[in-house]
Amino acid sequence: MSDIQTIMTSKLQNEVAFTIPALGGIPVAESVLVSWILMALIMAAVFLTTRKLKPDHPGRVQAAVEAAVGFLNRFSRENIGVHWRSFAPWLGTVAVYIACANLSGILGLVPPTKDLSVTAALALTSVFLIYGSSFRFLGLRGGLHKFAEPMPLLLPINVMEIAIRPLSLCMRLFGNVLGAFVIMELIKALVPVVVPVAFSLYFDIFDGIIQTIVFVFLTALFTGEALEGAT
Amino acid sequence: MYLAIGAGIAVLTGVGAGVGIGIATGRATEAIARQPEAASDIRSNLLLGSALAEATAIYGFVIGLAVIILK
Repeated sequence: MSDIQTIMTSKLQNEVAFTIPALGGIPVAESVLVSWILMALIMAAVFLTTRKLKPDHPGRVQAAVEAAVGFLNRFSRENIGVHWRSFAPWLGTVAVYIACANLSGILGLVPPTKDLSVTAALALTSVFLIYGSSFRFLGLRGGLHKFAEPMPLLLPINVMEIAIRPLSLCMRLFGNVLGAFVIMELIKALVPVVVPVAFSLYFDIFDGIIQTIVFVFLTALFTGEALEGAT
Repeated sequence: MYLAIGAGIAVLTGVGAGVGIGIATGRATEAIARQPEAASDIRSNLLLGSALAEATAIYGFVIGLAVIILK
């Protein structure tokens, strides 16, 4: 029992990677460091794939990038509605970041989404987007009226959802990634060779991609719901 | 000892999530077999329902972890 407890506690802690020697030492968490590495890789990929774009003779890379952007635009138009254009870039950015963060476990890095602070920040940005867009496109009156829909009796439940939605988004991503991480560490401790590969396929790749889709899909769906009736 | 039992009970929420997602997936498969042209709509609804059902299992897991770690 105490063994499991020490293993779990050590896996749950977010280690400090290094300390910036300024202002009395600023600790930089491992998740932040891994996020920086991922950001550098994503920016490099974006820079390399969007250079020398040709409108009439697209190369192989350009065709693939265009297909991905087209898919993202179609996805946000279907789920958000008429005002999809301003939300598509944000949804795409979050999707790419969460996918890379979840998949970074394959490279032996600690996934940043294992840190509760990271998923909490992502969930908070989502909830600001959902309610902010409602007030932005429906106006103050319309945005407030949204809380009394479909009937005024549901007002308390709609108000409670302001807190429940980010909590659920945050805990879902965190719990999945942490669960996969803990199980992978336990398997690695039991059988160090061959067996972890098969489990890694499921826990790192399949689950990581599914959770990315779920996070972005739920955000898009809630936003679409918040924008219902906007012209 | 009691901590382990408590954590085990908390993780039992997984039973409900498993049954729920199983029923939803079975019905979705039936629906797609009956109406293949509505597959994309059914798939997105299935994904939403599964995500919400799975949340209960995740809450159980997080509570189980909290019971073990926070004592």
